[in-house]
Formats: sequence, C-alpha cells, structure tokens
Amino acid sequence: MYDKTVRRRRAVLVLLVALSLILLTAYFREAPGGGLHSVQRGFLTVVSPIQDGANKALKPVRDLFGWFGDTLHARSQRDQLRKQVDRIQAELIVKQTNERSYQELLKLFHLDNQISAASYTPVTATVVAKSPNIWYSTVTIDAGTSRGVHLNDPVVNGEGLVGKITQAASDGAQVSLITDSEVGISATVNTSGVSGIVQPKVGDPNDLLLQYLPANSTVNPGDYVVTAGTVTGGGESLFPPGIPIGQVSSIDESSPYKAVNVHPLANLHNLDVVQVLTTVQGSKAQRLGHVVASLPPGSQAGSGGVAGEGAVASTGGGG
Amino acid sequence: MGDGGLGEVPISLILRIAALSVALVFVQIGVISEVPVFGVTVDLSPLLVAFVGLMCGSTLGAVTGFAVGLLVDLMLVQTLGVTSLVFTVIGYWAGRLRELRDPQAALTPLLVGGAAAATALVGYSVIEFLLGVDAPVSFELLRQIVLGVAVDTLLALPFWLLVRRVLDPALPDDPRRRRRRAYTTGGLSPLSRA
Repeated sequence: MYDKTVRRRRAVLVLLVALSLILLTAYFREAPGGGLHSVQRGFLTVVSPIQDGANKALKPVRDLFGWFGDTLHARSQRDQLRKQVDRIQAELIVKQTNERSYQELLKLFHLDNQISAASYTPVTATVVAKSPNIWYSTVTIDAGTSRGVHLNDPVVNGEGLVGKITQAASDGAQVSLITDSEVGISATVNTSGVSGIVQPKVGDPNDLLLQYLPANSTVNPGDYVVTAGTVTGGGESLFPPGIPIGQVSSIDESSPYKAVNVHPLANLHNLDVVQVLTTVQGSKAQRLGHVVASLPPGSQAGSGGVAGEGAVASTGGGG
Repeated sequence: MGDGGLGEVPISLILRIAALSVALVFVQIGVISEVPVFGVTVDLSPLLVAFVGLMCGSTLGAVTGFAVGLLVDLMLVQTLGVTSLVFTVIGYWAGRLRELRDPQAALTPLLVGGAAAATALVGYSVIEFLLGVDAPVSFELLRQIVLGVAVDTLLALPFWLLVRRVLDPALPDDPRRRRRRAYTTGGLSPLSRA
C-alpha cells in the first residue's frame, strides 16, 4: 500500500514536470500563429471581460495603495516640476520660433508628408493586468483586434512610449513594455540627433540602455531620447518618429561604442490608461508597417526616411 | 493524505484550493502587481503553492503548483510551462517537507515562504537564461531578487494565516494533527490520562 502511494506520488511529479517541459519546448519553438499561442489568445479573449470587471472592482484598493506612495513623493516631485516648468517656458519660446521656420522649410522641400504619430489612430485602453515577474515586463489591456489593435502597434501614454503589442485577441491584448527583455527600439538623442538602439537592462525596471552610439557623439545627461522612426530588422515594430522614450541619466564611456543610461519618461509602475497607436486600413503608415514586417533581419527602413519611403513608393503606395 | 497521495482528498478541499488559487491570481495580477513595495513587485502565488503543499502534502502541492502556474502563464500571455515547472517543484518540495519533517515551529511558514519566493525568482532566472536573453542583464537583477525574497518573506506569515483559515475546515482529520491538538488543548494529553 505504501509502495503504491510512493509510486503514485512520484508518477504525478514526473508527469507534471514532463508536461511543463513539453509545453515550454513546444511554445518556445512554435511560431506566434501556432496552436499554443492561439489557445493562449483564446483564453485571453475569454478572461479579458472578467479581468476588466475585476480590475474595476479592485481599483479602489489599488488607488488606496497608490495614494500612500504618491503622497510620499508628492512634495519632492512638486519642487522638481516647478523648476522644470520655469526652464521649459523659456525653451518653448525659442522652440516655437524654430518650429515655424521648420514647417516652412518642410513645405518648401516637399517633405511634409512624412509619417508621424498624427498619422495613427489612437485607441484608448485600460490596463487590466500586470505581470509580477521581473523577467516579463508585460501588461494586459482591454482593447483588442475588435477595436483595430494589431500586433506590433506602438503603445503610449501621456508621458511617452510605453511599449508595443505582442499578442492581440479580440477583446484584449498583451503589451510588452519598453523594459521587457524582448523589446528593442531605434532611438535618437533629440539634441544631437545621434541614433542608437534602446534596450532594457533586465532586472532594472527604472533604466534603459541606449547602445551603439558613435564613439565621438555628444550626449549629455538630461538630453531627451525619442523614437527614430526606423527599425533594425524585420519583425520589429515601426514606431513613428519623435515619441519621447526617456531622459539620459548617465553615460558609459568604457565600451567602444558609446552607451548611455536612459530613465524612461513613462511611469511604467503605475499604468492605468494607455493609448494604442493603430493604423487605418490602407493608410500609408499601415503599408509601411507591412513593408517593414517583410524585411529580412538586418535591413533598415524608416518611417520618415529614404529607405521606407522608397519601399512604399515601389509598392505603389506613395503618400 | 498524510502520505502525499491524492486518494482520499475531499472535494470541498479541492474546491477551496481552486477558488483560492483563481481569486489570488486575479488579485495578484490586477492589484498586487501594480503596487510596488520597496521598488519590487510582491508575488504571492509561489507562497500560495508552497502553503498548499505544506498543509495538504506533496501531490496536491505539485498539482496546485502546475495549475496555478499554467493559469498565470495563460492569463499573462507568458511562455507556457515556465511558471508551471517552477511552481510544481515548489509545491512538491513544500509537501515533502510536511510529510518527512512535519515542522511545527511558528516560524515555519516564514521560512517556507522565503524559500518558495527564492526558488521562484531564481528558477525563473535560470529558465530565462537557458532560453536565451537578448537584452543585457543588470546587476540590479540580484538586488531585485534579494529584495523580492525579503518582501515575500515578510508577507508570508499573514498570508499563511489566511490560507490556513480558508483550507483548514476542509482538511481531513490527520492522526498527527489530532495528536498535536490533544497535546495543545490539554484535555486529551497522555499526561492527564495517566
């Protein structure tokens, strides 16, 4: 009797471990459109309304906890923001003058049909779930394909870039945040215009790394980093140019290619409402997205750049 | 059930474990994950699995671990099987601890909770490294793991009380539990009978 129980106990353990390993291997090897991914998307469709309801019911609890944290930081944030407002007001006057000249030049050289965030249709969504795992910086939102959300669509909030859509079901979608290990974004330092790739530092949710900058480039702490509007290879998300990503916090001069630490502008710990930048069927942004998706790894295209424009023109799109 | 088998598990216990697991996973990903404590996210799901193992034995612990892990992976659209694998090991280990040692110290849930949190965080990291990580890994990861284990350990005792309160009424009368109760209540102590 005892032997039978021991054998059964061990058999259950072996069975469950084997099942986990089979699931893990099969999921890891299959394409995003595979069977297990489809099951997962189906499950997401079923639980999204429940998650949405639970999220609304539990919001007061979350807000209460959030209130304590916000109150603790409010005073230091207020002082910091007052200084920032003073500085930005002075900068704004100069920028407005420059902007007027810039717009005139764009029209003059027929460059005013470039894709920007304004070319996308924003879909507002509520965050209904967040992964507790430090290896998965993902959130689930309550908008899916039924509202025009598709794979690789950029996700933003009022502060800046949040992430991109990595799984989409009909009534819900998974957003991989910019701190997720699988996300890489082509980015530009706003002041100097030098470009690199922003990658997360796994385990550090408050820090990103802007890598592969030219060694002689000038980057200063406090500079803003924005999306470049290009991709480094097929399968990546094409973010419209100029979406704020973060602010340079420190510079690492040790590597042959300069790397800088970037603090994300969006508060990724406290996401409540986000916007998915969706493309309209047949729009230039969507056509360009398809072109980018079909690129082989290592190719480079830009939403406002020469390669991207050329690719769209060759498919008969144009702008 | 004391020997770790699933043979005589009451339905009411299975229902309570299932309800507690589903409720916890919803609250975890809807509320707890969004409230960082000391800069880290509290994860109560490995604690739940460990405590089920500690109260109900290795087989039920392992099955609960697999089910909770699968639910988490499905709901968060993560790589299927990663959390199930880690949680199955945690549930089984906690159950075997009960079956072999039956620890009764007041701090046992604290230590088991800490060990479960550490196993979960280190287990995820090992599996992710084995699967390949494209992004650079920060030393901050180590701090996150240590802080995560510390915060989970702090919460282990109150969470243990909650889990025990939910599951205890449905647990079958284990001779060992009856013996312990006899000693602690005094009336049935062998000393009073002598």
